[in-house]
Amino acid sequence: MSLKSAAPRHPLLTTAAWVVGAVAAFYALFWLISFVLGQMPDPIGPRADLFVEGARTTLLLTLISGAFGLGVGALVGLARTSHLWLLRVPASLFIWVIRGTPLLVQLLFVYNALPAILESVGLNVQLNEFSSAVLALALNVGAYNAEVIRAGLQAVPRGQNEAARSLGLSGTQTMVTVVMPQALRIVTPPLVNNMVALLKDSSLASSISLLELTLAGSRVSSETFLPIPVLTTVAAVYLTLTTVMTLFTDQLERRLKVVSR
Amino acid sequence: MTAIIEAHDVHKHFGSFHALRGVNLTVQPGEVVVIIGPSGSGKSTFIRTLNALDPHDAGSITVDGIPLNGKGNLDAIRREVGMVFQSFNLFPHLTVLENITLAPIRVRKASRADAEKRGLELLRRVGIEEQASKYPAQLSGGQQQRVAIARALAMEPKVMLFDEPTSALDPEMIKEVLDVMKELARSGMTMLVVTHEMGFAREVADRILFFDGGNIVEDTTPENFYQNPQHERARTFLSKILDH
Repeated sequence: MSLKSAAPRHPLLTTAAWVVGAVAAFYALFWLISFVLGQMPDPIGPRADLFVEGARTTLLLTLISGAFGLGVGALVGLARTSHLWLLRVPASLFIWVIRGTPLLVQLLFVYNALPAILESVGLNVQLNEFSSAVLALALNVGAYNAEVIRAGLQAVPRGQNEAARSLGLSGTQTMVTVVMPQALRIVTPPLVNNMVALLKDSSLASSISLLELTLAGSRVSSETFLPIPVLTTVAAVYLTLTTVMTLFTDQLERRLKVVSR
Repeated sequence: MTAIIEAHDVHKHFGSFHALRGVNLTVQPGEVVVIIGPSGSGKSTFIRTLNALDPHDAGSITVDGIPLNGKGNLDAIRREVGMVFQSFNLFPHLTVLENITLAPIRVRKASRADAEKRGLELLRRVGIEEQASKYPAQLSGGQQQRVAIARALAMEPKVMLFDEPTSALDPEMIKEVLDVMKELARSGMTMLVVTHEMGFAREVADRILFFDGGNIVEDTTPENFYQNPQHERARTFLSKILDH
């Protein structure tokens, strides 16, 4: 009797295809945004390039700090569930500080205070606006991601761990082959939620004079004294970005469900 | 003949609750031991100490000559001891066949082809070969529990522990699981079974252990236990489960 093992589409392969699709879609989207804004009357049309430039910075900031934020979240989330207090306590401390202080203060701190602190210990590091914003946003979303990932790991029933260990799998093997795949399905929706929130929160980077979408808008607004069309345009571009992002992450969620059932 | 399980003066506490109070037990290879007793008597806790899912606090446990103490030989013992749970605990993100082949591939370093061949043989043995590519959620409870038995057998254990394997099943499905367990008992597997299935105990058990208050209070043959229970607690327990 020939019975092949069910070969579900490989998760990495589908994820790679998804990433390629997402990148292509965002290129098309930016072309569309520049075209539409370019057609608009003054004060938007003549300054369309500035809006598109701002939107591109916003998206790039979100994607890069989002990727780092996932890494931070995974590490801190795992540390939070560790048996070793040497890992658990610093992780809790980090989450406590980040979640208990405003993101705006964190951005200002990284941009203004961090270089001075590093200099006083002999490190001469110059972070530009973009890198400062990436650092602050990645740490911030990382702390929220960590709590999501901790909850996801703990939501996998204890019996799963017991069954795997009783079969002789090591702690690490159990984590990688049994607990994490199940946790991934649980944590994807709230992680996506954090990413969408990050895209909107990235507007705070305007406060450290990073020329992203919000700062672009407020510059045009104060040059032209026409806040209504300008800020409406800014809001519309944000809405477009979050909508497209949600469309793609919905797809990703559906794919994960098919793969893991 | 050397004993396959030797437990001596085993104690276990959960906080202030003294769950096991000096359990002694010797099991010979091929013996089928049924463990009964009221809930909270320590019967499940005891078999969970045998593969250190609940590590014991005091006393000694030796499985197939390997002493269970500390971490070093824990994985060695868990490879010798298979376990079947009340709630099946199949891995929901893996197919039936992948559930069975996971440990042989990861722990025994078997090739995928060998593990799958052996996995299909085991599924045939428990009568559900045709479900190999389904996911656990697509199976009935009885089928899931048979997969769980096949999964444990795939590691070729010397001892099988069953922790109330039929308690979560619809009455119709209990028989199909008990039939697999009976076949396993006749094949010479050493089994420790926590259950309330008295028919199963009468038919295949070599010994019955009656647990009460964290210790074994009767250790006898099924015939003796039913006809002539020594302890008052065993008598009242028997009258309750046989009369309902």
